[in-house]
Amino acid sequence: MSDAPRMITLSEWDDRYEELVATGLEEPAYGGPLSRHVADGDLRLRTLLFDNSAAALRLWNFLLTEEERLTAARASGKKLIGTMKDLGTVPVIAYSASELVAFYPDGAWWIPCVMELSAGLLGIADSLGIDESFCPVRAMLGAFATEAHFPIPDLLICSVGATCDDFSAIAQRLSSLGHPIVWWEAPARRRPEQGEESVLLPGGFRATVGQVAFMKSELERLRQILEKEAGATIDDSALTAGIKAANRVRRILGALRLTVYRADASPLPALEMLIAEMLAIHFCSDREESARVLQGLLDEARSRQASHLGVLPEDAVRVFWVNPVADLRVMNLLEKCGGRVCGSEFLFSHALDEIPEDLPPMEALARMALADPMIGGAGDRADRVCADIELFGAEGLLISRIPGASHCATEGEVIRDRVRSRLDIPVQEIEVPPVSDSLLPTLSTRIEALVETALQRREK
Amino acid sequence: MIHAGIDAGSRAIKVVLFDDESGRIAASGIADQGIAQEALATELFEKLLGENHLQKKLISRIVATGYGRNIIGFAHKKVTEITCHAAGVHHACPDARTIIEIGGQDSKAIALKENGTVQDFSMNDRCAAGTGRFLEVVASRLTVNLKTLGQLAGQSDKPAAISSMCVVFAETEIIGLLASGVEPKDIASGVQASIAARVGTMAGRKITPPVAFTGGVALIPGMAAALEKVLKQPVSIPAEPQLTGALGAALLAAKM
Repeated sequence: MSDAPRMITLSEWDDRYEELVATGLEEPAYGGPLSRHVADGDLRLRTLLFDNSAAALRLWNFLLTEEERLTAARASGKKLIGTMKDLGTVPVIAYSASELVAFYPDGAWWIPCVMELSAGLLGIADSLGIDESFCPVRAMLGAFATEAHFPIPDLLICSVGATCDDFSAIAQRLSSLGHPIVWWEAPARRRPEQGEESVLLPGGFRATVGQVAFMKSELERLRQILEKEAGATIDDSALTAGIKAANRVRRILGALRLTVYRADASPLPALEMLIAEMLAIHFCSDREESARVLQGLLDEARSRQASHLGVLPEDAVRVFWVNPVADLRVMNLLEKCGGRVCGSEFLFSHALDEIPEDLPPMEALARMALADPMIGGAGDRADRVCADIELFGAEGLLISRIPGASHCATEGEVIRDRVRSRLDIPVQEIEVPPVSDSLLPTLSTRIEALVETALQRREK
Repeated sequence: MIHAGIDAGSRAIKVVLFDDESGRIAASGIADQGIAQEALATELFEKLLGENHLQKKLISRIVATGYGRNIIGFAHKKVTEITCHAAGVHHACPDARTIIEIGGQDSKAIALKENGTVQDFSMNDRCAAGTGRFLEVVASRLTVNLKTLGQLAGQSDKPAAISSMCVVFAETEIIGLLASGVEPKDIASGVQASIAARVGTMAGRKITPPVAFTGGVALIPGMAAALEKVLKQPVSIPAEPQLTGALGAALLAAKM
């Protein structure tokens, strides 16, 4: 099998794996052939297309072994912190204490897809009164009930307020089932009024000094709770080191995004980029290994770019993608339809920006948390999407709605209208449930038509 | 040269043979869709060739479109119905800047550039309430055919308000309306207004005239008037609105 970049099936990965091992593949402890995860119930892998690089193999193995890593962390005496909803802030504090390992139980939202509904998590959520009118993240309730997908955390922390009312309702139900939760409030970011003192946030937004102070007080409260859980102090110097370590991950990811999204021929597929970007918020329970995994992908992408090699044709239509998909297969679908992802806004753009290192650490974290797209207006999000579309030269926009998710019920329209009026590129909104097989023909038509429209525009 | 366009739609298969030397449609045909979609398309295609004394080898290129396009294995290329309707409508109505297409399974609003290429588009393919399927359900409930349903709607001067957003619930609502004595003509008119309203919402506020109305639903009397009322502007129907997708496919085949 050739080393040339291409997308391959799971069974092709078996052959590729043997070939890589025979030529001296060095793997971490969690390494191994991809297909072994199917035996664990990760059935969706059978229908996905994967990048054929060793770096991508490492990424997938890293993602699919998080439960083992969490179990090992607990066995070694570390405390597990379930951080929920804030997307990227609380883990930075938690990882500043060596006694703590943070993870996102929210990540269970992909289990119905990856296990092709076989785990029955959505059915359990239904039975608990959290039905399909809620976002698929309700699968998390089922995961807590079965205790089969991650160890039950020693401490649960959940942001409420302006973040996501779906998630708040789901977490409240979780609390009622006997899982105590530390709640913290994230205020809605608002534009400062004229004359009101404000500060600059990562991402170019502004917030009032009062809002930053409130956010800081909430995060300070969490720091104290985490210190108690860790049995150790998380002082400013530990936090500063934690911020620097998080920024290292963010810098590598930033370089990876620039390399892949701006390349003439896409060095890495959309699916691997989606998984990689998620590492910015959760580190897959190992911050240092996250950095190594991302560095491996960056090295691979740069090497391919230098050789003018890509996994997709150079004329693939450059599409900016908004919101993560509940079904991973749809990322493959875009490429099958003649597109490629050139830029993304997966609802955690604040976690891609570096946390200011020239500010006191809690002030820096508070400002970063206030830049969260979930707590700002849809217009702010649309502005950022427009800026990134221009940065990456995207020719079309796909907005992926998440069924039941209240945060994207109307913001898609705001983003769509602003992108159309400001950038005049074609826009499509699609809705992607956790297993979208029956919808693939209609999804395919929409995406193909978007690609055809962008191609017609090239002709002028 | 003759070029073929095949539109494998949800309710019907349409084939257009286009002669690029004369710039005219050489032949066209429509057949009901079924389970063996490729076989049905092949049958219609070969029937058209036979009726028009054309040999298959004279057909230079074939483009398939419609939701069943990928099943048409003998097509040289597959193109979405959005692109094909744009090409077909631009040929039939060169001035059109907006297309409203309502088919059996979905509806679309397509904004066109002056050169007839797609500027942008929106689609409803998740709900039957803005599609021809709604009319079929209502016609069945009122025990009339689609044409008669349209004629009935034209006789109404007080359309019933259909408030349900879902065809299944709308059918229940219609049963209730019938039970309460509302006349079928008012129900038919109300349903047309409901479909037009759904499509109008999908099309959005900024519709550039002139508007062309295509798809099988454009053949139903009264639907164009219902759309005009919602869109607040005239709507024109190309000569054979059911064929514009297949015509566009044939035109794109000619450009290959």
